[in-house]
Amino acid sequence: MPEERRVPLGPALAVLAAGLYAFYRLHEALTPFVLAAAFAYVVNPVVSYFEARGLRRAHLVIAGYLAGLALGYAAYAGIKTVLVGETEFLNANAPAYARQLQAFVLSEEAKLTRTLPLPPAVAERALGAAMDTVLQRVQALPSQIFGLVPFLLHALLVPFIGFFFLLDGPAGFDGLIQAAPSRYVEQAVHLAGDIDVSLGNYLRGILIAAAAITIASFAGLLTLGVDNAAAIALLAGVTSFMPYLGAVVGALAGFAMAVYQFGSLWAGVKVLILFAGIRLADEILLEPVIARHSVRLHPLVFLLALIVGGETFGFLGLVFAIPAACILKALAKVAWAWYASERGLAPYAPSCEAVPYT
Amino acid sequence: MDALKALTRWLTDPALSKRKKFLSGLDLFADLSGSELGRVAQGLHARTYRPGEVVFVEGDIGRALFILESGSVELTRRGADGKPVVLYALKPGEFFGEMALLESLPRSATATATETSRLHLLYRSKLEALLHAEPRVGAAIMGHLARLLSARLRRATGALASLPVPHA
Repeated sequence: MPEERRVPLGPALAVLAAGLYAFYRLHEALTPFVLAAAFAYVVNPVVSYFEARGLRRAHLVIAGYLAGLALGYAAYAGIKTVLVGETEFLNANAPAYARQLQAFVLSEEAKLTRTLPLPPAVAERALGAAMDTVLQRVQALPSQIFGLVPFLLHALLVPFIGFFFLLDGPAGFDGLIQAAPSRYVEQAVHLAGDIDVSLGNYLRGILIAAAAITIASFAGLLTLGVDNAAAIALLAGVTSFMPYLGAVVGALAGFAMAVYQFGSLWAGVKVLILFAGIRLADEILLEPVIARHSVRLHPLVFLLALIVGGETFGFLGLVFAIPAACILKALAKVAWAWYASERGLAPYAPSCEAVPYT
Repeated sequence: MDALKALTRWLTDPALSKRKKFLSGLDLFADLSGSELGRVAQGLHARTYRPGEVVFVEGDIGRALFILESGSVELTRRGADGKPVVLYALKPGEFFGEMALLESLPRSATATATETSRLHLLYRSKLEALLHAEPRVGAAIMGHLARLLSARLRRATGALASLPVPHA
């Protein structure tokens, strides 16, 4: 009988738990490194594509960074006028928006006070409290935005650290394979390969979809002449990560802007038609490509992952909640496939096995 | 001309070129172009095994194909008395464990490095990813595996046919 292969499960789990705890304690310092690793992971296939043709990785990474800089500058120069114009327009119109909102709330307050079966003083107090909460949130917005400054600083640090990750490429992983006990190498890399295939497709897929939705929304809103097209398109792209909710957030923001700007419901309907078209194109053209071989999460698991990630790790948790949930699901799937094959639970039995070889 | 050669040397990756050259000499990848060999080389993981180090053990579930670049690997099976019987000693350029690319079944032999050996590992998940991303590469590898399997089956059938038929 062949000797039994024993997986050192206890020590492996202890090391994993210690690693997770250390990550939790150091997650703020590790944020740029984690983001840089994710950036390198997403960009790596482009480098690998050209590397397969025989070119040196270092030259490709440097050339890629220079091309990225040039493209970024060209894109910025191209839409700079629009962006600057939009920012100035938003600054100039912000007081008007606020006045409009206040007038709307006051008129609704008066209507509700008349309609609600409550003493006017109680209704006014309740609505006043609700209004105060909204105003407090609005007033707190600048400080919340200011709180994001460290993450904006990461925007500079992430490509810098990512540069070194990209330069190393798969060398680090090959080092781990060399260090692993020889008999477990086959199983360990099989597991890593399965996770890589599932997760890579998912991450690249959602990023491509978000970029496509942002660009299509921006172009469509510009064509319709809707103000703040860049901000609304960005909102639509960022929220596209969320199933169901993502589809309506951008559409509602665009609808509200168009109705306010043009003063007609038809202008808003045109924006809704635009977003419905983008959504349809996404479903027909992008989803079949993205969803192939990628991990799919139930919307409730998706929301749970976002809440737990946000509560535990803050901004970093929100960014990585879904990929982490995908890793867990891929791990569970691969672990089950591994267990089933180790135990011979799913043998392959072709129907013509008994026919003689001819 | 020298300048062009120097530029080519500066632009190209010598390690990958060496790997591609080694792979192009194998029957398994004989039909592939330069860039396709590059894609395969990227999908392989290399590991150096010390003398006596076990690659896999009889009964382990197979997950990968192993290609021997240098050194020597011995395939053994436990005999009726429990002692290992040497089935084959692999030489550089030969590969083994290929059935793991088709099915996750227990290995029928133990593989052990008998000297310092450099092995390239091609995993089933990587081959499946290649099949989707580069169907021509995947089809060429699978076609070769099918021919190899057919040749072995033909040989086994021939060996069986030459055995005397037992009388009822």
